[in-house]
Amino acid sequence: MSLLEIRGLTKSFGGLTAIDDLDLDVAEGEIVSVIGPNGAGKTTLFNLITGVYPADGGAITFDGVELVGRDPDAITRFGISRTFQNVRLFPDMTVLENVMVGRHCRTKSGVIGAVLGLPSARREQAEVREQAKEILSFFGTRLSGYRHNQPAFVLSYANRRRLEIARAMATGARLLLLDEPVAGMNPRETAEMVELVGRLRDEKGFTLLVIEHDMRVVKGVSDRVVALDYGRKIAEGTYSEVAGNDRVIEAYLGKKATA
Amino acid sequence: MVPATTRAVNRGLIIGGCVVYFLAVGMFERFTARPVITDLLTLGWTVLAGLWAVAGVWAARTVLPPASSAPDGDEAGGRTARAVTHAALAGLLAGAVPALFLLLADAINLRPMLINAGATMVNALAVDDSAVAGALRLVLAALVIATVAGIVASAPAQVRRVAGWALGMVVLLALVEPLLRVIIASLGLRTSWLYQRGGLGVSGAVIALVLGVAVGVLRRRDTPTTARDDGDDGPRARLARGGRIAGLVAGAVLLLVLPRLVGPFLSEVVGTIGLFAIMGIGLNIVVGSAGLLHLGYVAFFAIGAYVTALLTSPAAALGTELSFWAALPIVVLVTAIAGLFVGAPVLRLRGDYLAIVTLAFGEIARILALSDWLRPALGGAQGILAVPAPTIGAMRFRDPQMLYYVIIVACAITAFIAWRLEDSRVGRAWTAMREDEQVAQIMGISISRYKLLAFALGAGIASVSGALFAVKIGSVFPHSFDILVSITALSVVILGGIGSLRGVFLGALVLVGLPDLLREFGEYRMLLYGGLLVAIMILRPQGLLPNVRRMAELGEEERLQDQWLKRAGDAGDPEPAIATTKTDGAS
Repeated sequence: MSLLEIRGLTKSFGGLTAIDDLDLDVAEGEIVSVIGPNGAGKTTLFNLITGVYPADGGAITFDGVELVGRDPDAITRFGISRTFQNVRLFPDMTVLENVMVGRHCRTKSGVIGAVLGLPSARREQAEVREQAKEILSFFGTRLSGYRHNQPAFVLSYANRRRLEIARAMATGARLLLLDEPVAGMNPRETAEMVELVGRLRDEKGFTLLVIEHDMRVVKGVSDRVVALDYGRKIAEGTYSEVAGNDRVIEAYLGKKATA
Repeated sequence: MVPATTRAVNRGLIIGGCVVYFLAVGMFERFTARPVITDLLTLGWTVLAGLWAVAGVWAARTVLPPASSAPDGDEAGGRTARAVTHAALAGLLAGAVPALFLLLADAINLRPMLINAGATMVNALAVDDSAVAGALRLVLAALVIATVAGIVASAPAQVRRVAGWALGMVVLLALVEPLLRVIIASLGLRTSWLYQRGGLGVSGAVIALVLGVAVGVLRRRDTPTTARDDGDDGPRARLARGGRIAGLVAGAVLLLVLPRLVGPFLSEVVGTIGLFAIMGIGLNIVVGSAGLLHLGYVAFFAIGAYVTALLTSPAAALGTELSFWAALPIVVLVTAIAGLFVGAPVLRLRGDYLAIVTLAFGEIARILALSDWLRPALGGAQGILAVPAPTIGAMRFRDPQMLYYVIIVACAITAFIAWRLEDSRVGRAWTAMREDEQVAQIMGISISRYKLLAFALGAGIASVSGALFAVKIGSVFPHSFDILVSITALSVVILGGIGSLRGVFLGALVLVGLPDLLREFGEYRMLLYGGLLVAIMILRPQGLLPNVRRMAELGEEERLQDQWLKRAGDAGDPEPAIATTKTDGAS
């Protein structure tokens, strides 16, 4: 059975059908890329999976649990986390705190524990801090050392994207949804990110669903590629299968001129 | 860009307008009743002089370079000359505008429109001379003061600091006269060397000037050491830590003996400051940490006060007559539940909408207390009388000098709670929610739960303040709970710096304490609040004492970065090496 199963998913905004009767499966340990021209419904798909929008119809099953109709925080607790196309960190919190917030749903201490300084709360706080540091060490020296205590807003653009991934990792998710992880990065940073996405699966065991426009990245990371257009799946398969598909070329470039 | 001269003219005219406003609302007249230096200078004229000085400095800044860069030789000389000219020009205008107003008020009767612009104002402003002479004197005084201010503004930073502290100290010591006079007297010392008839004596003024100069000189030396005292284990750091502990102990002792020092009236003022500090701490959780703009905070304060009165007063309909201490936990619990009831319907509202709805809740609380419907229980406009004082054994905490201690303890406990929550799982959840509610929820934080928690906790803390208010007054009336309380509490939080715990105390001191010390301000309290808040928003948008940790982080960033790079270099593991391997691997 697939880790994530989507069946007949539909969502419209007024007259516009953003996702139209979509089926999608992601198996445990797979890296699946979602491609498609602007407005194809890629980000809407992410928003539906994470519960930001309620679906109009269809089913999303994650590890046997039905997700449609649940709140975003509950869905995160089941083990799905994401990043955002336009990076959305907590800018005034420090790098470390941003990641610590990610641990929120895996920890328990409340007001009384914190105010009275109960041993369990102290231990949990220390653990969370260590876990956050460990997660940040995954990014080499980029987000370590003095960076821990910098507010997120001082970070460079690429580092913000990395921190977003770190925060998503901290939620203890099994499935990560990355929304355009290399948007706005230079070629070197992009190459690093490609490697990083691979390591996320190989070393950390995440399953990944990635929205990406950069075809070199899609080629570099994906086990499987799904192409969307007008909210419908128009092609699915390996990178070369999808890249050569007539309907995909048509969606991106328009119809060939007929002589 | 607009030419510097035009901007200097504009600034002079703006200050001139401010002076006219100050005259027309009658503040000048009121303030001339209060001496700063007895027989020499009144508060009214001090404010006028202050405004003109601001005109001079502000106009001089149109040509002065930013504080950091040091200009050289001729260029600097020419610039200073221009700065002083601009200052003089602005001063001339800032004096001419009120001078014209004076002539106008003298020539025709402005009182139908501006009730304060009558003969008393004219006389006060012209110092019982003819209006024309008075007007000329105004222009001349403004010109001289602004020019001098312009010269000082072009001087090196050190001179500016010393001048600022010296003049500031004179005004400050004159303003806290009621407080200091009582303290000095209660120490068994004479006060005539410092104060005479409500203001500084001449000798007092000299002492204040010297003190100000001393502070101005010393502060500069002080800065570099304090900026770095959070390092590891150097002897200097230990010294600084020792100094801090000594300071804390001294502060604690001062807090303990304060009511004896300042006497009953000022103890009452300090108590009120404490009550607003508690409310500020609670509201800081709601507004500062969780980011929920709550304008009806008075409702929780009122519920706290009324429930206390109901449970403890023999005059109350409930008739339980509990002791204050037995009632307090119930009060907190009831109000916290009320907080949940207010919070639940507004869970989906943000920002402005939340502010409007909570504003209405505050009014509803007051109107309910006044209503006929609840009259049997709450006593309508008559309120509930005879709220008994808290007692411990034979000690009764009724008079302000005793109740003070209860308030201080309540402040300490609530501040401790807020401080502990700041760097905890709950505090982080609130901060995340404030920064981006939607993302916080996607990261697994239950928004409704943490919003309700903030409301309940904020309500509980406000109820402590309300309970203490009830026993302080000894009775509870609906009229004590108007919107002004909410506004003041919010102003306390904003003035101190949103999210800053120390700021709350400073905010309460300035906004609640100052108007009580300066009774002349009484009528103009709202004007003072408004002006102060506008000024804060423009000059220090983060508040007087911004959230410490963040400011320190920003300031220390450079230093930390250097340190880290050095250490990384020593360890032979510099960043670029990693970056290049990655590029190679991918290409």
